[in-house]
Amino acid sequence: MTPVGLQHYLVVSVLLFCLGLLGVLVRRNVLVIYMSLELMLNAANLALTAFSRFNNNLDGQIIVFFIITVAASEVAVGLALIVALYRRRHTTHVEDMTALKN
Amino acid sequence: MSPLTIIFLLPLLTALVLALIPRNFRFSIRGLALLAGLVSMLIAVHAFCKFDGQASPSGFRFEERHAWAPGAGISYHVGADGLNLGLILMGAVVLFAALCVSWRIHTREKEYYILLLLMGGGILGAFASLDLFFFYILHELALVPAFILIGVWGVGKDKNYAAYQITLYLSLGALLVLAGLLAVYLQMPGASRTFDIVELTRYFSAHPMQSGAEHWIFPLLLIGFGILVSLYPFHTWAPLGYGTAPTGAAMIHAGVLKKFGLYGLLRIALPLMPDEAQRWALIIAALGLGNVVLCGAVAMRQRELNMLLGNSSVAHVGFAFLGIASMSLIGFTGAVVVMVAHGFLAALNYALSGYLREELKTLDMDQMGGLLSRLPFIGTVMIMAMMAACGLPGFAGFFGETLVFFGSWHRSEVVTVLAIWGALIVAGVYMLRAIRSIWHGDKQWPGLSDVTNPWRRLPYGLLLAALLVFGCFPRLLTDNIKASVTPVARLMGEEIAGGGSVLKVYGLNSFSPRHPVEDNASGAAVPGGPHR
Amino acid sequence: MHEPLHWLILFLPLLAAMVITLFLQRYPRCSAALSVGAVLASFLLSVGVLAEFLDGRAPDIALTWLQVGSLQIQFGLHFDALSALMLLVVTGVGSVIHIYSVGYMRGDPHYARFFAEMSLFTFSMLGIVVSNNFFQMFVFWELVGLSSYLLIGFWYQRPSAADAAKKAFLTNRLGDVGFLIGIVLAWAVTGTLSFAGMKDQLLRDPTLFNTTATVVGLLIFCGAVGKSAQFPLHVWLPDAMEGPTPVSALIHAATMVAAGVYMLCRVFFIFTHHDLLVIAWIGGITALLSALIAVQQDDIKRILAYSTLSQLGYMVMAVGFSAPPAAMFHLTTHAFFKALLFLGAGSVIHALSQEQNIWQMGRLRSKMPLTYWTFLAGTLALCGLWPLSGAFSKDAILAAAWEHNKALFALGELVAFLTTFYMFRLFFVVFLGKPKSDLVGHAHESPRIMTYPLVFLAAASVVGGFMGITQFITPQFSPASARLPIFAPLEPFETSPVAALLGLAAIAIGFVAAYVYYAGAESDPLPGKMKEVCNVLRHKFYFDEFYAGLVDVCQDKPARAINLCDIGLKLLVRLTHGTAEWTGRVLRLVQTGNLQTYTLLLAAGAALVLYFMLTR
Repeated sequence: MTPVGLQHYLVVSVLLFCLGLLGVLVRRNVLVIYMSLELMLNAANLALTAFSRFNNNLDGQIIVFFIITVAASEVAVGLALIVALYRRRHTTHVEDMTALKN
Repeated sequence: MSPLTIIFLLPLLTALVLALIPRNFRFSIRGLALLAGLVSMLIAVHAFCKFDGQASPSGFRFEERHAWAPGAGISYHVGADGLNLGLILMGAVVLFAALCVSWRIHTREKEYYILLLLMGGGILGAFASLDLFFFYILHELALVPAFILIGVWGVGKDKNYAAYQITLYLSLGALLVLAGLLAVYLQMPGASRTFDIVELTRYFSAHPMQSGAEHWIFPLLLIGFGILVSLYPFHTWAPLGYGTAPTGAAMIHAGVLKKFGLYGLLRIALPLMPDEAQRWALIIAALGLGNVVLCGAVAMRQRELNMLLGNSSVAHVGFAFLGIASMSLIGFTGAVVVMVAHGFLAALNYALSGYLREELKTLDMDQMGGLLSRLPFIGTVMIMAMMAACGLPGFAGFFGETLVFFGSWHRSEVVTVLAIWGALIVAGVYMLRAIRSIWHGDKQWPGLSDVTNPWRRLPYGLLLAALLVFGCFPRLLTDNIKASVTPVARLMGEEIAGGGSVLKVYGLNSFSPRHPVEDNASGAAVPGGPHR
Repeated sequence: MHEPLHWLILFLPLLAAMVITLFLQRYPRCSAALSVGAVLASFLLSVGVLAEFLDGRAPDIALTWLQVGSLQIQFGLHFDALSALMLLVVTGVGSVIHIYSVGYMRGDPHYARFFAEMSLFTFSMLGIVVSNNFFQMFVFWELVGLSSYLLIGFWYQRPSAADAAKKAFLTNRLGDVGFLIGIVLAWAVTGTLSFAGMKDQLLRDPTLFNTTATVVGLLIFCGAVGKSAQFPLHVWLPDAMEGPTPVSALIHAATMVAAGVYMLCRVFFIFTHHDLLVIAWIGGITALLSALIAVQQDDIKRILAYSTLSQLGYMVMAVGFSAPPAAMFHLTTHAFFKALLFLGAGSVIHALSQEQNIWQMGRLRSKMPLTYWTFLAGTLALCGLWPLSGAFSKDAILAAAWEHNKALFALGELVAFLTTFYMFRLFFVVFLGKPKSDLVGHAHESPRIMTYPLVFLAAASVVGGFMGITQFITPQFSPASARLPIFAPLEPFETSPVAALLGLAAIAIGFVAAYVYYAGAESDPLPGKMKEVCNVLRHKFYFDEFYAGLVDVCQDKPARAINLCDIGLKLLVRLTHGTAEWTGRVLRLVQTGNLQTYTLLLAAGAALVLYFMLTR
């Protein structure tokens, strides 16, 4: 069995990214879109870590830490917004949220 | 520290301080704003009285200069000569008066005063600056508050359109000016590039600009500044904008802000590009005539007082353009006198019409009439202001206008004759018709109240007094102005006998008695007189 | 006298006006006292100036008002025979009328304002008189226009008064346009504005103005046409009678309207003989037109107003005959008797509760004896009956006409006849005959503060011819002429017997004609006899209608067109605004607001970029 190489990681990363993108594009529920977005972020994280590991360079992992931190705060803000929106509109579907006002 | 710095920085800093005061301290907010305006005005009056253009070799007094961004050639440089001294005094007085008459504003008082102070302080700074960077930036600082002031506190159904129009139109003008100023800047060789107006003038009088560059820079500046002053085809923003603006904003905008363009032409465009200016003289004269005669005729057709005043104000700046177009010492002096006089006059007129608007809830002249019996104070002052607007002697504008006529005669008789017609007849017709339909007549108005409190009368009295003082003693202005515009007139090829200014003013001067008194009591012709 | 005293002549009335306006609005008695005091003090000081002048010590005072480049404007006091005489007329007649007003205006709610405006007028008028240069004269010229405007519109609640004030100001302004252009042109040629400087230059080089000489003169004459209400700008003066009667007496009869004549005398050196011909004819036409119109007016003040116009025509005509002394002489005597007539008319109007129609009066002789006798004296002086003052001054003018222009002489005699006719028409209808309304029953003589001025002016009108005014003025205009005897009662008959005798004949015919038609008339008999002519006269030759049409065509219609152009410009500006807005709306269609559309576009875009980057 061949050892797990960079290629494998990257394939997984691309698959994850495409799954996330697909989710963002086709799902109607904002929460699910949000989770798909996280999936895409993590796909990027995976690619970065893999490159870091195989290039013997720690820069990539540092960026991953940044992304995780930012993603955490983003989740906090985003979820808060979604909850606020739900309270106001009683819906979490994107088609119902096409205008900034009203 | 130069008094000029205090004059314009005080309102700006007060605006900052006001932002920190909670909005329910209404008395303190208004009091502080008034105090800043008052102090700034008193310093301006003091500086005006102390001014002595001979004291420094450059002709500038109260100079202050600090390097700010030496790499780009930007420095903080303020100073006053005859050209901007009167404008600074006028601006400070108008700012104080505008703050005074705003006592009826009750919604969002805090923001209102902050914006008004920003506007006034900004434009005063622009007049005081001798560095193009601050000259331009401070004017922009003054332009922006107008948008909010009209949009929030404006009156009338068109106020949103007016707010957008005035801001965008003027920004367009300012943009053209910016392009022109940068082009001028880039005309200098790389190492010595500077934004300092004094140095620019010195450089370009030694090394005239290439005519290829002049050909497009001058029109750029002319149209840009022209838009800012409502030169004929670009004037439509003015009546509507002033008509809908809250009283204080209209006063500062029409009185002070509008003079920026004319000041810029005289301070920058003409001295830097005298040859090109000569070539454009006739076009400037024609457009100025458009202001005087055509906008005057438009004013005749207005039935709304503020629209009439707006068109009249547009017509009056035409005289300043005619003075500039005459390219002569007398004409330039007249133009500056017109600028100062019209600042006081426009502010006074808008202050009064603002009072009427508050009292009557309308400015439709067809519905007015017979108001003089109910509002004797406001009525008397406004009749005087309207008389001043049709060029009556005793008010400052008269001397400005007649100087313009005397100055422009040798350039074009036809233009002068038409301008005289515009000043005496056209202005007379619309102003007298307005007096007739607003103040005279037998209509009864129960329930109106006049201004009786002496403190409330102060701003009107102040502006009127300024008009009268400069109207009776024009040399207070002209002696300083002519000293400062003499170099410009020389650049235009005029030969001017004598160099200095005469500083003996009616024996009651606080001006220096050191200078020799030039007294041609014989009234004989001065050599180098009018050439034809 | 010390120099400050000379300034006081001019500035005392201004001071009074300012103090009244600022502090005394609520104290009518104080303001009246102040105003009267100021003008009286000016009068006394003017007498002092006269004494100084006779001693040859009158000062010339000049300050530099403004000096820019080659333009020098002075503010000065110039005293010579002309200005000394005019100072005395203005302050003397002015004082009398101020005192009269104290009684006439009693009870008016705006008593203080009236006196403030009267003082302002006195100031401006004195400013014209003492000017030593064109510019200063123009400044005060305008200020006089302003005070006239304020006083005509004194009762601004009346629409007719407000309209009349506006009309007077604007008509004057038309003349002022010419005046100002003339001043600028004269300055551009000579480089000076002072009368003395310009006169010197013209003496040195009479062809200085070469081609523009006639034009300069005519432009400056425009100013006089406006202020002295000469044809074709005469229309404002009759309307100006909407003002209070003392105002009509002081401003629109005795002094302000005479300013034009005074100015013509002052700048006489500038006129060429072409100018003088035009001036003479304009004066003649004015005199005739207004005398004709006066024949068919019914308002007592309007009759006097047209009479003023016609007498001003005489004065202007005299200037046209190169006889400024005669013009100034007539100006002075006319100031006396026309002020007297107006004040007498005011007394009548006062007694009849503001009734001005002469056909509502009648038999006032017994009710108001003092007014009656003084009015008679004024009428006779105006008609020019020897030995009253009018005879001397009018004969001086007619004698000049006889020398220069026979056609205008005939016209002058015709006007003399018409003058007698309309004045005695007025006199018979108002003071004699039957009472024509109930108002007459309640009439009573005016209080003494009003009748004493009448008596004073009547005395001046009677003896005015013997005051030696021509003798005083003439040396200034023709220094070489022989010294005239001071007292010469038969002078008219000696210098020009034809003019004097024909003048007397005209008076006689006029009196007889008036007696035949109007002694005891109940209503005007003339319209029945000459319907068409009277109709034209009653409509004042349709000048007002013609001018209304002219203003509409020349001003209001173009203004409307220009306003339309302006609206077009506004639409253009709106167009840029509209273009931006529509572009925005079109582009907005892309922005659905749907999150997933955006994401799809984003992803597609990213894929596209990737594709290009990788395949390159």
